[in-house]
Amino acid sequence: MSSFNLLKLEYSSCVEALTDALRMEDEKAFFAAVDHIVHMREPGMFGELRKLTGDLQKALERFSIESKLADIAENEIPDARARLNHVISMTDEAAHRTLDLVEQSGPLAERTSKAAGNLIDMLNAYRAQSTGVQGFEGVARSIDAYVPVVRAIETFLPAARADSELIRRNLADVLLAQGYQDLTGQIIRSVMKLVEELEASLTELSRLSGDVVEHASMGENSGHGPAVPGVTKGEIASGQTDVDALLSGLGM
Amino acid sequence: MNAEMKFLVVDDFATIRRIVKGVLNELGYSNVTEADDGSTALPLLRDGDFDFLITDWNMPGMPGLDLLKAVRANAKLAKLPVLMLTAEAKRDQIVEAAQAGVNGYVIKPFTAETLKEKLDKILGPGK
Repeated sequence: MSSFNLLKLEYSSCVEALTDALRMEDEKAFFAAVDHIVHMREPGMFGELRKLTGDLQKALERFSIESKLADIAENEIPDARARLNHVISMTDEAAHRTLDLVEQSGPLAERTSKAAGNLIDMLNAYRAQSTGVQGFEGVARSIDAYVPVVRAIETFLPAARADSELIRRNLADVLLAQGYQDLTGQIIRSVMKLVEELEASLTELSRLSGDVVEHASMGENSGHGPAVPGVTKGEIASGQTDVDALLSGLGM
Repeated sequence: MNAEMKFLVVDDFATIRRIVKGVLNELGYSNVTEADDGSTALPLLRDGDFDFLITDWNMPGMPGLDLLKAVRANAKLAKLPVLMLTAEAKRDQIVEAAQAGVNGYVIKPFTAETLKEKLDKILGPGK
């Protein structure tokens, strides 16, 4: 049976009642027939209305998510990019500062160590020379030989003190240079929060659209960056020993 | 060892290049040139007379694996010793690099000892 035939079957008696009431000018029967027809239409109408309201609500939700995403894309992403660039420059600066200080300190420590070594050699030579010295002349010679040793000690000590002081100051500066970690940590955390928000909005949007979000794939040989425990997929070498074992297994 | 050996260090981070250069200087190699990715390194390699290449993998522009493949495909450079110094630690990547003809693979963070050990191994005793 066609759907119109169904309608005819459903409504014909009501329409008949309506036309009868009109013909007989029976107001009460007329309104009763109209009420009956409206009552019959109500479930469908309300269903349609409910669907319309749902669609409207979804559209509004979608609009709010889309404007949130637009805001993230327009303002927060460039802002996050700038903040991450700042992280790179801060870590770069700290690394260079640390390297500078280490490079400055190495030669100072080496100079002190070399000078101390020379002094030890001098003292040992003096000791060997003055062992078993006898008589006034012998003692006088021994004192003469001791003079250059004392001079060397006099030169060494202030130089060693100055170099050690400089190394100590450099080490303190190395310590201070590590302060970037706190700042970069905070910035990275704020960017992580933004990524979370973005993820939530995108998930919600894909739920509303019924789409599946596909992950963009990286270039074939570009690499993945440092392996992050719990994030990087696939088998990861746990350290250099693991890499060496793997390569020797391949005959390298 | 031959102190005159010419090294090319390729990494997009200046600090890493500086650290590697520092370690090489410590080991007595003072002839070290730097490049920040494969595409700047390749012309230097083609036109220069480098004895050793140390490269990162993940770099903007031309990644290290592509550089390695380009080096092996070039008749002049095919035999150049290449050490990969990278944070890429996936086992299939290490295998891929080995298949592409890498001579050594060191993962970051690395120590001066590891770098020295791999250099000695690649260059052989007495070089």
